[in-house]
Amino acid sequence: MIKVEKLSKRYGATTAVQELSFEVPKGEVVGFLGPNGAGKTTTMRIITGSLGATEGRVTLDGQDVFENPRQVKKRIGYLPEVPPLYTDMKVRDYVRFAARLKGVDDIKGAAEATIDRVGLAPVAHRIIDHLSKGFRQRCGVAQALVHNPDVLILDEPYSGLDPAQRMEIRDLLKELAQEDRTVILSTHVLADIEAMCERVVIINKGKMVGQGPISELTKVLGGRTITLSVARPEGLLDILSVMPGVLSVTPGDAGAISLFTEPGDIREQVAAAAVPYGLLEFSGRQSLEDIFLHLTQQAEA
Amino acid sequence: MGNILAIAKRELRNYFATPVGWLSLCGYILLTGFFFSIFLGFYSEQAATMGYDPYGPAEMNVDEYLVSPFFGNANIILLFLCPALTMRLFSEDRKAKSLELLLTSPISTTEIVLGKYLGALGFVLLLFLGTLHYPALLFWMGDPDPGIMASCYLSWTMMTACFMAVGLMASSFTENQMVAMILAFGILLMFWLLGWAEGSLGSTGFQGNLKDVLSFASLVNRTEDMQKGLIHTKDLVYFGSFVAFFLFVTHQRVEAYRWR
Repeated sequence: MIKVEKLSKRYGATTAVQELSFEVPKGEVVGFLGPNGAGKTTTMRIITGSLGATEGRVTLDGQDVFENPRQVKKRIGYLPEVPPLYTDMKVRDYVRFAARLKGVDDIKGAAEATIDRVGLAPVAHRIIDHLSKGFRQRCGVAQALVHNPDVLILDEPYSGLDPAQRMEIRDLLKELAQEDRTVILSTHVLADIEAMCERVVIINKGKMVGQGPISELTKVLGGRTITLSVARPEGLLDILSVMPGVLSVTPGDAGAISLFTEPGDIREQVAAAAVPYGLLEFSGRQSLEDIFLHLTQQAEA
Repeated sequence: MGNILAIAKRELRNYFATPVGWLSLCGYILLTGFFFSIFLGFYSEQAATMGYDPYGPAEMNVDEYLVSPFFGNANIILLFLCPALTMRLFSEDRKAKSLELLLTSPISTTEIVLGKYLGALGFVLLLFLGTLHYPALLFWMGDPDPGIMASCYLSWTMMTACFMAVGLMASSFTENQMVAMILAFGILLMFWLLGWAEGSLGSTGFQGNLKDVLSFASLVNRTEDMQKGLIHTKDLVYFGSFVAFFLFVTHQRVEAYRWR
């Protein structure tokens, strides 16, 4: 559905995005990952048509974003990192204004439905400037949703929210994603991606460093972090550091040891080796965070 | 067209959502009132003196001695007011990142520019409504020419249309409202002073040629005839081209946001 082909964006001498290509099929929720400055926002802005690409193109069902901006923009809802709010307006007026700009036919109806949908009803008559951060974020979501787009582009939708607000917004976005929408979501909170996304695209310094379904990525690239603690660590460190499949061993305080492994499950071997030394705790976690760190560091090396 | 109006309406409302709109309205009425009372006082004093002058005209023409000078001199309020009203149009939108809403909506850059322009222009036209009691007073007390009066309001409108176009352009060039205001004021002042420079030049040789050029370019000189009730097509064309040029530059500038 969304097809990004060899997309490059240069700002003068600096390259923000370099030959980035990926596709997002209809109805899929894709997580867009990368450290700050990786080019996530730039890519998203190009997809939404607010920024022009230096090279390459973005198409939505075959329609080029820059050749048919009107048709394409009508189908995309975009929530930038800073929600594009006119803070001097009342919530209801703002949502109506957005509906109007997005070319909705029944402006009042669509605005009311959206206000209810994103939970803005209790504050609909208030001026946006006087609202809490969570409600403002909802206004941003409302603006992206008012024309009922089939594509949602969400740039760091959780930044700056407190944990309760984050949970609320996450639940809201989860619901929206389930309504057969195609969603691209960028964040650096990996738990959010793991909770919502079927697939991830990881970029670093404007280049793709990995993409695939979350399960597959963890399988292929799945280095694992194992942390254990033993009663008598002497000697175990030497055994673990020469064990096949172990990349690094870091000793901690009071018999704690953490190690990072190559792809492949060697939890059993590690546990077996540790038991004679008085194994007390053991956990082997395989998270996007580790993969992410691993991939971006690899790309740097 | 609907989009243009929606944006214009939002901009217009914005002036009244903050003290800016109300302060401008008060200030504008106060200052025009100041100008009006000065010229009214001057006019009545002259008229009274004239009554004792056996060689003077039978009456002092109210259009020539009151209406034209009042409208002509009150131009200067607009010179200061317009940059202050236009400075936020694009600057604030960009700084607050709210422009992203417009840029990602299915609307054209032309619609964005025209919407903002008409909204801001509309606000000044509302200010003009606050000056209608001066003509009302004159019609009540005397017998001014309604055509000249209308032509004077047209001259204000044309002048404001030009000022607002320059201000809008200045605002599109920077995220800093103060810079936008100073830039707009500088450009407007330059056009204003062209009229003065022209007045100090001789009328022959190189000076004469330069005088012709400056006189052609001067914005204020164009309003002088209009404030006497004389509407030239060439002046209307000048104002139209002036506005079109600055709106075009603004359009190009806003397009360029997408390419930087």
